[in-house]
Amino acid sequence: MDFESLSGDLHRLKDLALAEVAKAADPAALDQLQIKYLGKKGEITAVLRGIGALPPHDRPRVGAVANDIGEAVKTALAERGFELRSIVQAQRLAAEMVDVTLPGRTVPRGTLHPIPETVAAIAEVFGQFGFVVYEGPEVEDDLTNFQMLNIALDHPARDLWDTLYVDVPGHLLRTHTSPGQIRVMQSTRPPIRALLPGRCFRYEAVDASHGFEFFQVEGLMVDEGTSMADLKGLLDEFAHALFGPRRTRFRPGYYPFTEPSVAFDVECVVCGGVGCPACSKSGWMTILGAGMVHPVVLQYGGIDPELYQGFAFGMGVERISNLRHAVPDLRYYLENDLRFLEQFR
Amino acid sequence: MRVPLSWLREYVDVQLSPEQLAERLTLLGMEVQGIERWGADWRSVVVGELLTVEKHPYADRLQLTTVTVGSGEPLHIVCGAHNIAPGQRVPVALPGAVLPGDRRIERTEKMGIASEGMLCSGDELHITSDAEGILILPPATALGRDLSELYGDVVLDVDVKPNRGDALCLVGLAREVAAATSATIRWPEIAVEEAGGPVSDHLKVEVREPELCTRFVGRWVSGAKIGPSPDWAQMRLQAAGMRPVSNVVDASNYVMLELGKPTHTFNGAAVHDGTIIVRRATAGERVETLDHVERELTTDTLIIADPRGPIGIAGIMGGFDSEITNATTEIAIESAVFDPVSIRRTGHRYALRSEASLRFEKGQEFRLARIGADRVAQLTLAWAGGALSKGRVDTAPTEPPSARLAFRPARVSRLLGAEISVDEQRSLLRRVGVETEPAPSGARIQVSAAPQPLVVDPGAEQALVAVVPTWRRDLAIEADLAEEIARVRGYETTPAHLPDTLMPAYRPSPLLVREVIRATLAGAGLSEVVTHALVSPLDEARLLWPEDESEPALPASLAAQTGDEIAVTNPLSVEHSVLRRHLAASLLDVLSLNERQGRPDVAIFEIGKRYARVDGRPREWTRLAVLLTGAAEPAAWNRAARPYDLDDAKGVLELLYRRVGMPEPSYVPDPRGFPFHPGRALLARAESGGEAVAGRVAELHPDAVAAWDLRAQRVIVAEVAIAGLDVAGPMRVHVEPIPRFPEVERDLAVIVAESRSAVEVRRTIERHGGVLLRRVRLFDLYRGAPLAAGEKSLAYRLVLGARDRTLTEAEVEGAIEAARKGLQKELGAHLRT
Ligand SMILES: [Zn+2]
Repeated sequence: MDFESLSGDLHRLKDLALAEVAKAADPAALDQLQIKYLGKKGEITAVLRGIGALPPHDRPRVGAVANDIGEAVKTALAERGFELRSIVQAQRLAAEMVDVTLPGRTVPRGTLHPIPETVAAIAEVFGQFGFVVYEGPEVEDDLTNFQMLNIALDHPARDLWDTLYVDVPGHLLRTHTSPGQIRVMQSTRPPIRALLPGRCFRYEAVDASHGFEFFQVEGLMVDEGTSMADLKGLLDEFAHALFGPRRTRFRPGYYPFTEPSVAFDVECVVCGGVGCPACSKSGWMTILGAGMVHPVVLQYGGIDPELYQGFAFGMGVERISNLRHAVPDLRYYLENDLRFLEQFR
Repeated sequence: MRVPLSWLREYVDVQLSPEQLAERLTLLGMEVQGIERWGADWRSVVVGELLTVEKHPYADRLQLTTVTVGSGEPLHIVCGAHNIAPGQRVPVALPGAVLPGDRRIERTEKMGIASEGMLCSGDELHITSDAEGILILPPATALGRDLSELYGDVVLDVDVKPNRGDALCLVGLAREVAAATSATIRWPEIAVEEAGGPVSDHLKVEVREPELCTRFVGRWVSGAKIGPSPDWAQMRLQAAGMRPVSNVVDASNYVMLELGKPTHTFNGAAVHDGTIIVRRATAGERVETLDHVERELTTDTLIIADPRGPIGIAGIMGGFDSEITNATTEIAIESAVFDPVSIRRTGHRYALRSEASLRFEKGQEFRLARIGADRVAQLTLAWAGGALSKGRVDTAPTEPPSARLAFRPARVSRLLGAEISVDEQRSLLRRVGVETEPAPSGARIQVSAAPQPLVVDPGAEQALVAVVPTWRRDLAIEADLAEEIARVRGYETTPAHLPDTLMPAYRPSPLLVREVIRATLAGAGLSEVVTHALVSPLDEARLLWPEDESEPALPASLAAQTGDEIAVTNPLSVEHSVLRRHLAASLLDVLSLNERQGRPDVAIFEIGKRYARVDGRPREWTRLAVLLTGAAEPAAWNRAARPYDLDDAKGVLELLYRRVGMPEPSYVPDPRGFPFHPGRALLARAESGGEAVAGRVAELHPDAVAAWDLRAQRVIVAEVAIAGLDVAGPMRVHVEPIPRFPEVERDLAVIVAESRSAVEVRRTIERHGGVLLRRVRLFDLYRGAPLAAGEKSLAYRLVLGARDRTLTEAEVEGAIEAARKGLQKELGAHLRT
């Protein structure tokens, strides 16, 4: 064995290896070639094993040739590997092409019912003015629902509230959220700014504009100098928040539990005040009733009407929702037809 | 209250257009809910004069007339009435005319003779109640004029509030118009000419219940002739919505509408012995009222009687036997004041509310008893003739003076939030008839009235005394005067500003937990519903939803176990007659409705209340209910639908618990059977920091689904007690430091008997795994070969770690081995490797 023959073997191996690498069709074949030529038992390695038979001065020379050839094969393997991976990836990507114009996968999304949503919208506005939410019982006692609100047993105004009674003595289904005023006053001291949302009941046949179950939001503010002007300012803000910039007006109303009492009107949301069937040609829509808390009611709440005064207001949630969403029929709310609910998605 | 403007103008001048007047009244608190053009439905009805009246040649009951309407050829009109004669002026409906009720008049032929239009009766025009004869117009009525121009009117529909009984009449509303426009009011001229002997010759009155009948004024007219009242009076009554009856009855009704004073007229001859007794009915007494209904009277009914028995129910309705008939000549007039509460209760008891009782219920001005009696007598004489006996029977002739009510102008300003000078307040009150004067020393302020009277000393504050007109019985406290001042001044003058006073203390909103749940569930694809609280008692029987577990989130005192149904005693229908004790049936109703609309995929939730009676007291709890059915993921172009199953509902529950800051719930099987699938029902519970949340998740039994007439294959229902949950509580989330040392994962496959539940296996691992075990998660469930029948394999991934070091292999092995041994010992498990 001499340097020339060994070197010649290595060069032949190199040519052979490069030719095979160039022909390799996939990464697995490259792996085989790697082992075949460069592995521990590989052919180049085997050639180098013969290096011991050479005279000592030739050994480094052969080592250098072998290294060069080994590097050349490695490089060829790497280059061919990169080439092959690019081809494979390009083929895969080509195979993965989709029709991007197909519709997307629907993300499930439920809807929120307009009644609690409207309550939340109302609470949000008054919350900004420091009104905190309380809740009272729906099965209420007669005393709190009527008598403590200055509606005695034989008060002619009782006709305003057709009542559903229950088989619990002295109790009824609350006809309004107003009894909450009494409960708040009895449980807390002024300054009071309270909001009382909830379900109410009346003996009323069901049609497009009536129902025996409905929702109200009551407001109550009591302090030393809380006045009608405060009520007016606050309700203006509320109307603007929910219905946009519109004219508003107070007109005298009547409730046994407020004195003075007012009705709060906003410019018709349909015609803008010109007059249309929706507003009975008046140009106005009444959105709530309000007034200064009657001294008798303050007293039942344990508050001295000489020291404190305040206002209360009450509104129908469905009424507010109807005006905001143009809901044509009150029955939609408790029927829960998905074709209605899904419009609020 | 219907207010014909032509009638109103008798008492006050109105310069405004009807629309302007309506707005002014509305802004004064007398809401005008409608403006009706009275006579707008007479089209092409004109004034004509009869030229000739002859018998119809072929029909005895018809007449042939020729009529001129002032221009053109005379018209030939066939007419069925017999009160007509040449020279009379009459309403003529020309061909093409339209009468009330959309009745169209065309050229016709009657028994062979052409008729070019129609002569109209008062009834056909809805002017009077006379349907027999043609309406004969005054001789001077302008020929050819459109009838609606002559007799048309504008009628305002005014909503008079219950506290303003004084305004339920034309004079009362004229006062309001006067207040709004600063016009002066004209009180009707009431003067009677008396003739004949004293009234006591005919009429004696005995009031046995002076508390219930505080005043009774009687008058007597002899020799009256019953007939129709004048056409103008009938027109006014008609326009005001009242049917004319006869001159004497119309006089009574006219006075009620004019003055707000209900009166009653009796056939004097039918009042036995001329004696009227006002008393309570005795047991078993009966009376036939004017509506021909024989009524048995209860002993708390106040009646008008003669010595033989009842002749009317006081303030509500007269008796049939003493009714005014065409033969009546003697008229007894009753003008009384009754106790409003008594009238109201009586009206409810007999389901009889009349225009009269409506006014009595609101209370009556005391002096009107006298004035009303005189006015009815005056109109009776004018319309029916006869002679009025001298004087009145009057059981309480002393009329109380005007009430005097002290008030503080500064308090009025404070209440309204507007500085209104004392002078302005006085002049505003004067416009509603309230005169003011300086308060005498010692005057007391009525801050609040019955049932919580509060009278205070004005101290150093300036006070005035208001002299309240006798008709304003609603003005009783200082705040009432503030309202008068505010409404006459106009609320548009009240300033508007935002409150600048102290804010209340913070209070967490009870809506917050619901907002969190709503947002979470909507985000998870469920739609929110709001259903009736009142349900059918049949729903409970049909579904047999089990008695609810307690509400552990609540304090023990509120967390009742069970409770009875609360029922409505006067329900509108049986479908809505009890308060629901659970929400599931309500959601099934929603599913049913949507199935019928072709919507079988339903995922809904409701946050609502359930109700029960506990220890005799009503209780309410807020709950969450969920219903899932149909496709969880609807079929799409590239995949099949995936139906909802129990795990979806459990997943919703777990999401919810996480969201409200509770640990993952543990499940206990509920094998009760109906209404649940016996193998697919569970109770869920989680506890944290003294709070607990309990819930139930179940697939409905197929029979329950069938009982609801549902087409759905599987219906999953969940109910969770959320009352008392506090998501706003401070420091809900405690952050664990992120581990600095790597965690180690080990898988453990546990083979156990089928009867062992997953939660048992998991708990056992947790219990024995030691402090290094951080998390356990089930990742595989396997049954079948090579496992024996009745066995299953549960594969768990255990995550271990320590805060201060990387675990050694020995530590990890130790923990796993401990878990393994625990499983073997406690559950008889063996482990797959
Ligand atoms: Zn409008």
